[in-house]
Amino acid sequence: MDVSSEVVPLLGVGILLTALYLQSESFVDPLVQGAAFQSLLIGALLGWLAWTERSVDLAVIGALAVGIRAVAIPYVLRRQIRAFRWRARELRASQRVTGHALAAVALAIVAWFVFQQTLGPKFPELGSALPFVLLVQGLLMLATRTNTIVQVIGYLEEENAVVYAGAILASGFPLFVEAVIFLDVLGVVLVGVILSIQRDVTGTPEERVLEELTG
Amino acid sequence: MILAEPRTWMFLVLAAPVAGAVLALIPLRGVGQWTSRVAAVVTFAAASMLLALRAHAVWGDVFAVDPLSDVFVFTVAAIYATSVWYSSAYLRSLHGAFLSAGVYYSLMSAFALAMLASLLVTDLGLMWIGIEGTTVASALLIVLERRPASVEAAWRYTLIASAGLTIALFALLLLYVATGSLNAFALAADPPAPTLLIQMAVALALVGYGTKVGLFPMHSWLPDAHSEAPSPVSALFSGVLLPTALYAFLRVYRVLPTPVPADLSDLVLAFGLLTALVAAFLLQRQRSFKRLLAYSSMEVMGLAVVGIALGGLALYGALILIVAHAFAKSAAFYCAGNVVRATGTTRIDAVRDLKTRMPWTGGAWVLAATAVTGAPPFGTFVGELLIVTAAVATGREWVALLVVVAILVAFLGVNWQIGGMVFGGGGEPFPTGDREGAEAGASLAWINVAVAFAIGVASLPYLAPALRAATLVLGGHVP
Repeated sequence: MDVSSEVVPLLGVGILLTALYLQSESFVDPLVQGAAFQSLLIGALLGWLAWTERSVDLAVIGALAVGIRAVAIPYVLRRQIRAFRWRARELRASQRVTGHALAAVALAIVAWFVFQQTLGPKFPELGSALPFVLLVQGLLMLATRTNTIVQVIGYLEEENAVVYAGAILASGFPLFVEAVIFLDVLGVVLVGVILSIQRDVTGTPEERVLEELTG
Repeated sequence: MILAEPRTWMFLVLAAPVAGAVLALIPLRGVGQWTSRVAAVVTFAAASMLLALRAHAVWGDVFAVDPLSDVFVFTVAAIYATSVWYSSAYLRSLHGAFLSAGVYYSLMSAFALAMLASLLVTDLGLMWIGIEGTTVASALLIVLERRPASVEAAWRYTLIASAGLTIALFALLLLYVATGSLNAFALAADPPAPTLLIQMAVALALVGYGTKVGLFPMHSWLPDAHSEAPSPVSALFSGVLLPTALYAFLRVYRVLPTPVPADLSDLVLAFGLLTALVAAFLLQRQRSFKRLLAYSSMEVMGLAVVGIALGGLALYGALILIVAHAFAKSAAFYCAGNVVRATGTTRIDAVRDLKTRMPWTGGAWVLAATAVTGAPPFGTFVGELLIVTAAVATGREWVALLVVVAILVAFLGVNWQIGGMVFGGGGEPFPTGDREGAEAGASLAWINVAVAFAIGVASLPYLAPALRAATLVLGGHVP
């Protein structure tokens, strides 16, 4: 067996399992750690591809995945959780965790099926559908969760999906490094600025029903 | 001759807001306001020159203009200029703002720069970066007034718009795999066969950029952000940010050969119709006049997307609608800003009798409201009429019927509410807001309403031929 040919699919399965785990977790700190681990796996995948393809771009994007999404953003988020205990758990998610997990698995199967039916002939390699499945998982988290930190995790997951897709489906995509940098800048704006203002002004991590924002 | 050289004006269109964004940060009193004003006026002058030249040129490998980008650049530059001028009076009425005046003006220029750069690049990847840049630059402008609702709105805007744009980036990845290029101009000149992969990419781009355009059901950020942002920023959002995102989709859509495969044009049509109808009905139940205007923008974007899907003459109508709406809606938001300054509220039922209390603002607002809802003889009416005519001409009477329903429902909803605020009697007495200062801000609203009017009644020099040329670029028909 050629071990090197198994590295990419194995890391892909790890990334997918992490995504499913994140859907079933309502405590915020393990969610942040899980997302950091997923970004680490993406970083490892990109590092491996950078090594085998001798690609500086992929190496840079891998370093960004590890530096920004596996270390810096999780560090800031975990500091927020420690400083504000009420951020520790998603308040309204307790009854819905099982539903989230089941929906995530069902959606993963549907996304995989849709990809195989539409783009499968173009991308026959094992694991090509995984970035698309991951993208859908990130969207599900954004759409169903109310805690702002968990929503940031959903955003990071989407970004990981795009980076993953760029690396294994669209090798040589121009401006990929720049696009990923912009996504990271936006992640930092989300986490570093708006989240901090929200803490000061609204005093709650939950998306709230505000009279002015109804209708 | 340097003045006849489009690259000179392209350079100025980009360099002036850069200078405005940087110089506004000089920590001296009044510097931010005046450097931004100068930058906005220079940008507008340069954009007008591009329009007058009906420029069709490339600048290196990165930048290019054609009549379509000329029209959009002109519109963005015009609303940027009027919004910057309107901002100074608006900022004076704010207390405890989250941003200093210098940072506010710097972000306004950066926001305009991101839109203008998106309109002037050839590469779809760079265009995506520009659209993403608009989110980064404008998110903090929403929280200017530092209220819980504005922070929540900024959060939703950033998160939802970014999620949508991530899907758009995914679409570009697929497009690159299918074509090996992201040069919008080259792909449009020689469209590849519409394989399933390309159609999938265009469909994902519709969802991705459609989120930023405010298409149903990805629109939920739009009413929040538009209503909570300061009025000059709302004017930029409604008037030109949504069209800029639509422009990015149009460039991807143009990769398809004409006629566009029916499945895909039907998908675009469905998104447009649903958006227009849902927005028209949702705006009936609004209690905030800024949210009312936001839903009206969503309705107009839906109609423009219907025009794009129908193609032919409807494309011409969609472009006229987009440009006339930008001027009319910015005027409506300036009036809304005046009322907020004078009354401190955005509640519809709390504002009455503007015709005597704020006659200049009230008058401009009635006209702007009729203009944004497509009343004759404004340019929006001409645009909507062309879309309906094209639908009937192509045998899609049911589309014409649904478009007319959306137009009528939105017209009644917006004008009934705003008419009540202007002409209705009684209501709560105005608090001691800056009513006279606010009235002075009505002049810019009158100017922009006048432009929306002129687009409808006259063949404006430079703008009318540019709109026709832009339609031809998109493969549409002109009368």
